[in-house]
Amino acid sequence: MEDIILKTVDLTKKYNNKAVVDNLNIEIRKGEIFGLLGPNGAGKSTTMNMICSIVRPTAGKIELLGKNPWKQKKDVIHKIGYIPQELAIHGSLKAWENVELFTSLYGIKGEQLKNAVNDSLEYVGLSERKQEFAKNFSGGMKRRLNIACAIGHNPELLIFDEPTVGIDPQSRNFILDKIKESNKKGATVIYTSHYMEEVEAICTRIAIMDNGKIIACGTSEELKRLVNGSDENITLEEVFLTLTGKKLRDYAE
Amino acid sequence: MIRYLIKNNFKLMFRNTWSVVVMLLGPILVIAVLSSAFSELMKSYEGVDDFAVGYRMEDAVEDAVRFQAVKLAGEENGILFYEYPEGNVKDVMEKNELAGFVEFSEDTYVVYKSADYEVEGITLEYFMNKAMNESVNASLQIQAQDSIVLPVEQLEFMPAVNARDYYGIIYIAYFGCCGMICATGVLSNEKKYGIVRRFQVSNLSETQNYLGKLIPVTLTVAVGMAVSTGITILFYDIHWGKPVLSMLIVFMMIVAANAFGMMLYNISDNLAITIIMLFTIVWFMGFFGGSFETYMFSSMPDMVKHLSPVYHGNRALVELSCMGESDYVASALWYSFAITVICSAIAILAGNIRKRGRV
Ligand SMILES: Nc1ncnc2c1ncn2[C@@H]1O[C@H](COP(=O)(O)OP(=O)(O)OP(=O)(O)O)[C@@H](O)[C@H]1O
Ligand SMILES: [Mg+2]
Repeated sequence: MEDIILKTVDLTKKYNNKAVVDNLNIEIRKGEIFGLLGPNGAGKSTTMNMICSIVRPTAGKIELLGKNPWKQKKDVIHKIGYIPQELAIHGSLKAWENVELFTSLYGIKGEQLKNAVNDSLEYVGLSERKQEFAKNFSGGMKRRLNIACAIGHNPELLIFDEPTVGIDPQSRNFILDKIKESNKKGATVIYTSHYMEEVEAICTRIAIMDNGKIIACGTSEELKRLVNGSDENITLEEVFLTLTGKKLRDYAE
Repeated sequence: MIRYLIKNNFKLMFRNTWSVVVMLLGPILVIAVLSSAFSELMKSYEGVDDFAVGYRMEDAVEDAVRFQAVKLAGEENGILFYEYPEGNVKDVMEKNELAGFVEFSEDTYVVYKSADYEVEGITLEYFMNKAMNESVNASLQIQAQDSIVLPVEQLEFMPAVNARDYYGIIYIAYFGCCGMICATGVLSNEKKYGIVRRFQVSNLSETQNYLGKLIPVTLTVAVGMAVSTGITILFYDIHWGKPVLSMLIVFMMIVAANAFGMMLYNISDNLAITIIMLFTIVWFMGFFGGSFETYMFSSMPDMVKHLSPVYHGNRALVELSCMGESDYVASALWYSFAITVICSAIAILAGNIRKRGRV
């Protein structure tokens, strides 16, 4: 029980009476890299936003490090690092200024802040270019800066919402390596994506989400077995399509 | 932690070059245009001598008593009234070289002005407005008495301020009140790029968030205004009285206007609406408070003028410039202070409500 970092109970979000996240129950344990996989519009970002107290749930419960992030925000919020899907950086601030600004929001200051900024930039490989304005960065660099802005306060739980959208394989591998590295150092990770290979490469457990519901959850082997009866001769992509794509077609009939 | 927010927002505002340029050049240009357009009128006013004015009364007894007081007050201000019961007003004025003419009927009066005596005409109009208001007040208080002394003193200082000083001072204050545009870049970016979300996933409180914008925008505007003030002093020879006190008044006006603007933003959550509303309200306050037509010549009722915070600020600054002191310093400062406190409280409250209700 103690090592459960995040638990949702019947978590629901409705927009215009339509459930975007529908009675979601997940449990994430300390030390995991938990992959949340789902097609566009599945409700992944909405779920993450509810956990981070950005979007208010319509119903259900969230337990984050034993606290309710909506009621006891002060006690938990500094323990999470949230990397939003959309780039949330100021183009007119230099790289290091962006990191400084967002890291300082967690009460870090002075020498400690300076070190945190340098470490974060080092972590994403932007140390050399920290004096440049964010607006002059390439897409991949902006993505990395977006990450740097959320990790300076050493969070226990890192929430990545599609951090690898629109970047080249080098940057992608770099980011994935870094995520594994953080995990080794003790951080729990929630990783949202619709790229199978990524999720398969780094996640210890995967949940497949569609239409606001978790339709399958387990290690990649378990998921393959679930669809195929054995974990051979099937890729995670096929599992994903079997579970989500075909289902949609079934609905349409 | 708010220190870093202030610092970085300040950088962002300063890097938003166009708004800083507008804040800098705006007042300089307007001051250049207005002070030259009006300088002749106000300059000549300084040298206005005593002048003669005709009047006529349609047997309104009550007014006749009151008019004696008006007449006396006029004499003290160098306006000499002579009665002309007969004849066409225009002819009488021309024949007797009168600078103006006042015709009293039962419960109103008409002021005639002459094209040859433009400045005197404005003075007469202003004087009559002032005097009649005062006399109504006075006669309400002491009905039984037949002699009334009117406290029409305002005319004395009026000639001392020239158009350059007047507009040179007032437009610094006016543009200072519109300084919120320096924050638009930061506010729109925060929204457009989802930076507000990062704020939500942090320990930043609504009060800190609010101060993290109010302080840098105020500093940005204050720096901008200080530079334009310096430039206008150098090039147009604007005289400010009591520099420290004047600076404090302008600064407090800037703080109050920004707090008001931030309140509008936190309530509406819409930048365009905020700017339009802020500019409209500041315009009206300026309109009532002498930012366009000088407040001395303005025919706006005193009560309306006094409601405008801009009036108190303008008047305090102008009087400090030409007299070295002003009864309006305290009210100008208090007005700004009260607006700042009230608007800040509402802004933070609105921000909290919005945050809680976020879908
Ligand atoms: N503020 C909102 N108002 C109405 N509908 C919304 C709102 N936010 C999200 N939705 C809807 O909720 C659904 C889920 O959106 P969400 O962003 O969570 O999906 P996602 O799984 O993150 O997709 P993607 O992979 O494209 O990022 C979508 O159909 C979206 O249109
Ligand atoms: Mg998403």
